[in-house]
Amino acid sequence: MVQFRSDLVPQNYYGPRILAFSVVVWIVMLGLFIRLWSLQLIMGESFDDMAVENRIRLLRLPPPRGSILDSCGKALAENRASFTFSIVPGAIKAPQKIIEAYADPLGFSPEKMRSVIEKSMLAPKFMSFPIRKNVSLEEVSLMKARACQVKGVSLEARPYRSYPFGSLLCHVLGVTGEISASELEKVGRVGYRPGDYVGKTGIEREYETYLRGEEGWEQIEIDAKGRHLASLTRKPAKAGANIVLTVDASFQRFVEDAFTERAGSVIAVDPDTGRVLAMVSKPGFDPNLFTPTISERNWKSLNSDPLHPLENRSIRGLYPPASTFKLVTALAGLSEGVTTPDKNIFCSGEMGLGGQVYRCWKQHGHGRVNLHRAIVESCDVYFYELGLKLGADRMAKYASLFGLGKPTGLELSQELPGLIPTNFWKERNYGTFIKDGENVTIGIGQGYTLTTPIQLAVMTSALANGGNIMRPYLVEEIKSSDGSVIFQQTPVIRWKMNPDQKIWSIIRKAMRGVVEDRVGTGRKCRIPGLSVYAKTGTSQVVSAREKSMSEEDVPYHERTHAMFVAFVDDQPRKIAIVVVIEHGGGGGKTAAPLARKIICRYYGIPDPGDPKN
Amino acid sequence: MPKTYLKSSLVNSVRKFEWFLCIDTIMLTLAGIVLIYSATIPMAGTGRSFVIRQTAWLSLGLIILVLFSFVDYRLLERWGIWIYVFILIALISVSIFGRVTAGSRRWIDLGLMRFQPSEFAKLAVVIVLAKSLSDRPRGRLSNWSEIFKNLVLVIIPAAFVATQPDLGTSIVLLFVAMSMIIFVGFTKRIWTTIGLCMVVSLPLIYLGSKYLLLDYQKKRLMTFLNPDLDPLGAGYQIIQSQIAIGSGGFLGKGFLKGAQNQLMFLPVKHTDFIFAVLAEEWGFVGCLLIIILLMAFMLRGLAISGSAREDFGTILSVGCVSIIFWHVSINVAMVMGVVPVVGVPLSFISYGGSSLLSSFLVTAILASVSSRRFSR
Repeated sequence: MVQFRSDLVPQNYYGPRILAFSVVVWIVMLGLFIRLWSLQLIMGESFDDMAVENRIRLLRLPPPRGSILDSCGKALAENRASFTFSIVPGAIKAPQKIIEAYADPLGFSPEKMRSVIEKSMLAPKFMSFPIRKNVSLEEVSLMKARACQVKGVSLEARPYRSYPFGSLLCHVLGVTGEISASELEKVGRVGYRPGDYVGKTGIEREYETYLRGEEGWEQIEIDAKGRHLASLTRKPAKAGANIVLTVDASFQRFVEDAFTERAGSVIAVDPDTGRVLAMVSKPGFDPNLFTPTISERNWKSLNSDPLHPLENRSIRGLYPPASTFKLVTALAGLSEGVTTPDKNIFCSGEMGLGGQVYRCWKQHGHGRVNLHRAIVESCDVYFYELGLKLGADRMAKYASLFGLGKPTGLELSQELPGLIPTNFWKERNYGTFIKDGENVTIGIGQGYTLTTPIQLAVMTSALANGGNIMRPYLVEEIKSSDGSVIFQQTPVIRWKMNPDQKIWSIIRKAMRGVVEDRVGTGRKCRIPGLSVYAKTGTSQVVSAREKSMSEEDVPYHERTHAMFVAFVDDQPRKIAIVVVIEHGGGGGKTAAPLARKIICRYYGIPDPGDPKN
Repeated sequence: MPKTYLKSSLVNSVRKFEWFLCIDTIMLTLAGIVLIYSATIPMAGTGRSFVIRQTAWLSLGLIILVLFSFVDYRLLERWGIWIYVFILIALISVSIFGRVTAGSRRWIDLGLMRFQPSEFAKLAVVIVLAKSLSDRPRGRLSNWSEIFKNLVLVIIPAAFVATQPDLGTSIVLLFVAMSMIIFVGFTKRIWTTIGLCMVVSLPLIYLGSKYLLLDYQKKRLMTFLNPDLDPLGAGYQIIQSQIAIGSGGFLGKGFLKGAQNQLMFLPVKHTDFIFAVLAEEWGFVGCLLIIILLMAFMLRGLAISGSAREDFGTILSVGCVSIIFWHVSINVAMVMGVVPVVGVPLSFISYGGSSLLSSFLVTAILASVSSRRFSR
């Protein structure tokens, strides 16, 4: 092998071009090099002056968080000022001096102060490291008096969250809290730093990006003693946007006050648009407890409360829909041709199937009932039989059509889907198909079936508006800090049920009868002058119960849940309402009067009280 | 007998291995990691993870470098078109399923890692262009249909990248392709026509930039022309990075001592503006060293292209070198305020997995061309 030429001699044809490219590389690099020379070595000193290490400090200007307003513009969540004492580790000259000057006003022992300062040394050098938040005004003046002597500390005014109405609408509003390490890891790029506040739950969390605003900063020049000489450059913070909710605070207040039971949920929506008018989950909590940080004692007591006050029952409470589900079973039965409006069934008070006895709520039975009477009087036996004939899958089809068993798409993302049992689901989770006895209980909304109050509200809205499944919403509009509207809500029809009008009117007529009929279960919601449509429900928590036991003897946790769904659609302003009272007894007995009070308040008419027979 | 054969072939491939380029690449990347450490340590909480990730990318890059440099680059001639099609599909899917980061849709989330197809589009374009420019009789490009065919190959991916929007990468794509086409050359007639077209189209370009560029892109161009227009907004980046570079002086302020850097005045300093961190903390001397390493890479790459056995290898290497060339010159010029800020990373040095891996692939292709310069 002859290898006389050096191994990197260019080929003849492309040689000159490669040489030319090399020359271009040389020229460009030389050009950059000259620019670098002039920047660093000729103009260098003037730039150096601009960047002198100890004279310039960067202050963060945190943006005021946007407010959350009710539909009338009243602030439900806003900011108040509070002071934060922090250490700037890179600027500390004499730690001993800081300990002497500040340990006392902060209420720290000198040893604790020393360990705090040592801990701060691990943080980035020139960023402020917060030591104590929510410093009172007296403490501020005390600290200010000592501040000019010592380098390496700072006292910043920071806005904190305040909820002027206390626990009103607390689950919807949510709370803010200091950003956690894992959240920081996720959103680190977007400019959050340790110690920043972010929305943790509710609207505060979902609309964090709007509420937060844009951080500003200020480069300030300080002298050798750490005194502020001049502002060099400054980018003002941009306040966050305001979120306007659909809820009217005074109506919400009324509904919350009217709800006197221990636990449960009330939702009122405008059935035509899905606009949420009131959303109550009881028990609640005071979100002010969470700002600036919740004390350990309060946190423990909220968390260990057996009634779970932090949980938003309206979207996360899973309840068997009980007799309110009979509307679904009735629609399924009529649409699938399994039953007709005229078909009668004899209710003897119980039904036997496979050696098991299924009882009607009315001990001695309803006698002969057709579909209308079965809904009006909420006859269980009628729907046991209908459920048995339909089977779980066909009922699930209509339940899903009503939006049950899946999230409704409300802005709060913690919403739970609930459960509508199907054979597919049962087989996958239990390995067997749904048995006849289970079909019977599904027919009256018991068994595996679980729904959330907001799903029932969407179902009720659909019954009121002619079969449109609306996406419920809480946010009416978002206004930026300069007042311009950056988001305007428009109602969304998620899908149309396109029901058979004949079947639809049969069901609606029966719902009217629930309130108006002398034997209707929802008679306590009767309001003269308003046509109220409703359905009651009483969902069992434990299966078999001795009939002999009187209601007061039943322990709280074994009492039935009272459910009530209702709507008014012949007025210019419509309303659909769902009341769930946990362990409240019978739906018609405890939930219906509450719904009546709320509807009366909504239309501004005096409460007629319970009807006399 | 087989043992000695094995030994001799091993010795041979070690001797032929492109040590110079590989060591250069590793030195640049290590310098980059030092700078990323310095740039990200003030960002508390997330700081250290950048260095850890970049080191992981370096290890992956090394494996790829060694594996690919033993693969015959002539395989690319046959498979190039499929790589190109794959990248096009990835670019399209990024605009559909991509993640939005800081207003742009550039990443595909693969769970474990995020993949930025636009970084690899440059390589794919270089490969298909090298194939299309070498698969013809030698000589200058003389007819328009041929030129358009080559331009279409680059304009399709460049358009997708520009809509992400990632102006910097699409500019690099176009510049790289133009470098390769001009490297092959035009006849005099074509040059004359191009000259005339340029004169005519200048007003059109003006109108286009007025209506087609996004607001932030327009703002960048305007403030480049006049940084004092908006000293706190878009001009802020240019001013702050010039202060950082200028205050570095001859020897720099030292590791972790840069005030501009540590005080977090610098924008995106671990990616696009990492050169400013280098200039502030390591001064003129540090910059000189890095520029020399980068220049050595390019010149060595050009030497390799000259020694390639066939035209495909030559043009492929020239394309690879021009990728690095345009990245380095646009990035350094932008950080020093010579050209507008268009968001182009500094090859090998800036933080970013896709960018680093594509730079390592450039090295691998050049190494593969280099080690096959004798084979027939």
